[in-house]
Amino acid sequence: MSAPAGPMTEHVQGMTIQRSRLQGRDGDLLTVNFGPQHPSTHGVLRLIVDLEGEVIRGLKPVIGYLHTGIEKQMEALRWQQAVVLTDRHDYLSPPINNLAYALAVEKLLGVEAPPRAQVLRVIMSELTRLSSHVVWLGTSSLELGAMSAFMYGFREREKVMDLNEEISGFRMHTSYIRPGGVFADATPRFLEMLDAFIREMPRNVDEYENLLTRNPIWIARTKDIGHLTPEDAIRLAASGPMLRGSGINWDLRKDRPYSGYEKYDWEVAVENGCDCYARYLVRIREMRESVKILRQALDSLPPGPVNIDDRKILPPPREELETSMEAVIHHFKLATEGYSLPPGDVYVAVESGRGENGCYIVSDGTHKPRRAKFRSASFVNIQALEQLALGSMVADLIAVIGTADAVLGDVDR
Amino acid sequence: MSQQIPPAAVLAEGMIAGDHWIQVQPEQIRATLSRLQAEGFTYFLFLTCVDHLATPLLQQPPQRFELVYQLRDLKQRREIRVRVFLPEERPEIASVQDIFAAANWDERETWDMFGIEFEGHPNLERILMPEDWIGHPLRRDFPVGGEPVDFSEDHETWQTAPPQA
Repeated sequence: MSAPAGPMTEHVQGMTIQRSRLQGRDGDLLTVNFGPQHPSTHGVLRLIVDLEGEVIRGLKPVIGYLHTGIEKQMEALRWQQAVVLTDRHDYLSPPINNLAYALAVEKLLGVEAPPRAQVLRVIMSELTRLSSHVVWLGTSSLELGAMSAFMYGFREREKVMDLNEEISGFRMHTSYIRPGGVFADATPRFLEMLDAFIREMPRNVDEYENLLTRNPIWIARTKDIGHLTPEDAIRLAASGPMLRGSGINWDLRKDRPYSGYEKYDWEVAVENGCDCYARYLVRIREMRESVKILRQALDSLPPGPVNIDDRKILPPPREELETSMEAVIHHFKLATEGYSLPPGDVYVAVESGRGENGCYIVSDGTHKPRRAKFRSASFVNIQALEQLALGSMVADLIAVIGTADAVLGDVDR
Repeated sequence: MSQQIPPAAVLAEGMIAGDHWIQVQPEQIRATLSRLQAEGFTYFLFLTCVDHLATPLLQQPPQRFELVYQLRDLKQRREIRVRVFLPEERPEIASVQDIFAAANWDERETWDMFGIEFEGHPNLERILMPEDWIGHPLRRDFPVGGEPVDFSEDHETWQTAPPQA
């Protein structure tokens, strides 16, 4: 392939570059393999990059290295067993994956979780969003050479892990949110830890901002890099900070509210920069908004049960088994067969840290899914990489991959 | 909204748990999606396939494969699901990746997982499975473990056809 004929100077990302500097050997394109085992690809993303000098002229993402067949495995599990698999596709936001699945099952069953469970779901979703964003912030800034933000980010992630452990017994794959409610009520210690976390988190976000927001190197590496116009964002169905960083005011928590998000007072973070820096600002602002939601949710946590009172869907409490024959029967039926969903299909989407995390389930009336499909934000956002990176310098590719914030488990499922 | 689509194209329409859906002929898929896009459904959510092999449903689906396209109107905050049924032998349909660019990878994934051919797709190759993989894993007759498992719960329906060696 020969280099396209053109003028001697070229405008790339606002810079005027001498054409002679761009020439590869004999003007040919150089094809470079990037990944899959490369620390800055956020897992096992592989890119085949066509370079003309240092300018990217072609980019082909190759995915599937982390394909685990979650959708296939779900078809072999009962509706209530499949929750544990939903934890594992987007492994940086398990409770939000649980929530999408639980809401889909509940929608088809026609039931709604009790108020206390809904607030606990919001609390877990926002904690997850925070932990996902600090991991993004840490790893992306590390790739661009800012080491300290990584340390700061993982400090806070550890606290969210401790909160996960306190409420569900697990640090990562919590399986906390389940069809019909949540695994267990919040312990008093969890509420204390959460209160302390909410108090200190705004200061921590200030610290990240002190490190990066006005840092000239950070700005040089991210501003006007990875341009995505609003039209392209919709055309490529980008979601989450990719969409809001391009000036489109769309957040599922506001526009299609679920789990009582309409009750909280907060703002959607939208930036008009359309570049990596705008996506960074969106995530920083989202962290602050998440803290606001967490505070309101904790203060408004209503008393009451955390699971629906339907013995056909959730097993009876342990103590009832000793006195009630009916409870034993219900327990036996659920443990051996599970519950079945009415035939039909539903799609439910929730806003994860990465964007629209959707769950489409099809029931054929039996106790196992006929089909479960995850519309993962990472899969769709990675598809936009080519659009983002074409014409930019190879070093900027790292910033572009970083701000797309793909989790490869979510891409490959 | 269905008055905007040629009425002959819509075979069925309904609501399920609050989700609006229509069913169209496979030949009408490009015309239908173009119309819906012009009506404001500009955001392509996903495309996937459902395999109805050996379904226990009383009302049998017309064909084995059901393709599902989910679109969203960001301005009016509404969604629509378009269903298409495809036959078991040689399931193929026109690609819509030039109408909705976001459908490109979804069509590749549906080819990879279900073996649905998308005519006119520029790059219809495996996306998640290795290039030399034989079979389409999300079909219901593809065994879970890649090899037959005797005495499992749904033995008759699941392990009918192991993949060719």
